[in-house]
Amino acid sequence: MAQPILLRVSNFKAYVWDVDDINILRSHHHICGILTGTLPHLSSQNIFLGLPLQLMPEEAVLLVENEIAVLVDDPSAHYAPSPSTLKLWKEARLNDARQQIALTEEKGSIEASNPDRAMSENAKRKRKEREERRAREKTNAAPRVPVEDSPSPHRTSENPSQAAIGEPLDSTIVMPSGSYTVNIPASSSKLEWYAPHSDVSLTIAREAGIWLYPSTLQERARCGVFRDLWEKGYYMGGGIKFGGEYLVYPGDPLRYHSHFVASVIEAPDAALRPMEIVAHGRLGTGTKKAHLLCEWNDETQVVSYLSVEWAGFG
Amino acid sequence: MQNHPSYPVLSQLLEKYPATGGALFQVYNDLTLAQKWIDVEVLDLPACKRAAIKGKRPTPDTDRVPSICIVVPCSLSESISASWLRAAFTSLDPLPSEIYVAITSEDTSTVYYKISQGIVKPPV
Repeated sequence: MAQPILLRVSNFKAYVWDVDDINILRSHHHICGILTGTLPHLSSQNIFLGLPLQLMPEEAVLLVENEIAVLVDDPSAHYAPSPSTLKLWKEARLNDARQQIALTEEKGSIEASNPDRAMSENAKRKRKEREERRAREKTNAAPRVPVEDSPSPHRTSENPSQAAIGEPLDSTIVMPSGSYTVNIPASSSKLEWYAPHSDVSLTIAREAGIWLYPSTLQERARCGVFRDLWEKGYYMGGGIKFGGEYLVYPGDPLRYHSHFVASVIEAPDAALRPMEIVAHGRLGTGTKKAHLLCEWNDETQVVSYLSVEWAGFG
Repeated sequence: MQNHPSYPVLSQLLEKYPATGGALFQVYNDLTLAQKWIDVEVLDLPACKRAAIKGKRPTPDTDRVPSICIVVPCSLSESISASWLRAAFTSLDPLPSEIYVAITSEDTSTVYYKISQGIVKPPV
């Protein structure tokens, strides 16, 4: 059996940080989730978003119950790095910065040696300024930047094998001057100091206090309805845009429109107002969908469906 | 109400289910007089503690046979439930594929919603 996917839980929400896992969840398990991360290059909008993928609690519960995924308490998975690990990380960063600057300089010298290349006044001025600055730097020594000691003392109590706080590093790292891009990895999986401990079942996670869903009848009903629809092969998305709990798609939401807007009724005898039938029914029909009333029976653990449409007369 | 032409047809069930009498009266008249349904009958639906109405809905094409539909009246002020809706299905013989819930309001507006059992796709 394939390795279970790690669902990283933070503040009772399940996130997926690895793109490959997101792909597997969608294509193999028809669980879509929603991307919630800001894109650094497109920050002032929320139409296009990036990692992490956030799952509905019902989605996370289903994946863990089906042993497709396990829950990881993300905050406690990040340890304080040892001084040697930190030193390696900083050196890698320094090398990356140096490489970038070297490439930039190489590109600059190629452009300068090409006389046919037309240059705007602005470009010429900037090149002159760059050359002047480089000349200045060569004559002055680069300032030494001492690096701070190990951070985050709070975590070390959980991991006594880590080095004591306040130990100075062997050498100071000098970051070069010149412009370079600092890359911050989205996922913590490749960090040396990330060691997830996974909770294999919901019960264990509940006891550990990192996951509580479902705790009420309403939440159990949602899990039950979601699971039943999922087992029938449907893809589910959030229903807020159409006045329901879920949108129910016959296939991948990127390819299909949803046929149904589903709402969850927590018990067979739960009070239903006729006005709800009117509101759900008319909105569903008005958007080329039908409304699905999904009734959960907590005793029999069975879901019963009623499809509601506007009659078209009256 | 007793002087109304619809009264004789409805009198027995109005007496049996006084609480839903208003909705029954309003929906029966709407179907027969405004919606122009034909072969309209009333049925007793004890599981829902009310009368239901059966009739043939006129179709726009003249060659298609009008289908028999069941209408369950209900007032906007009532409190119903999913089990109530399913009870309407199970107490009807033969089991219909769909029923219409007719929801009445105090200003005499009547709205009809089609309820089907199971997951039934909307028409394209």
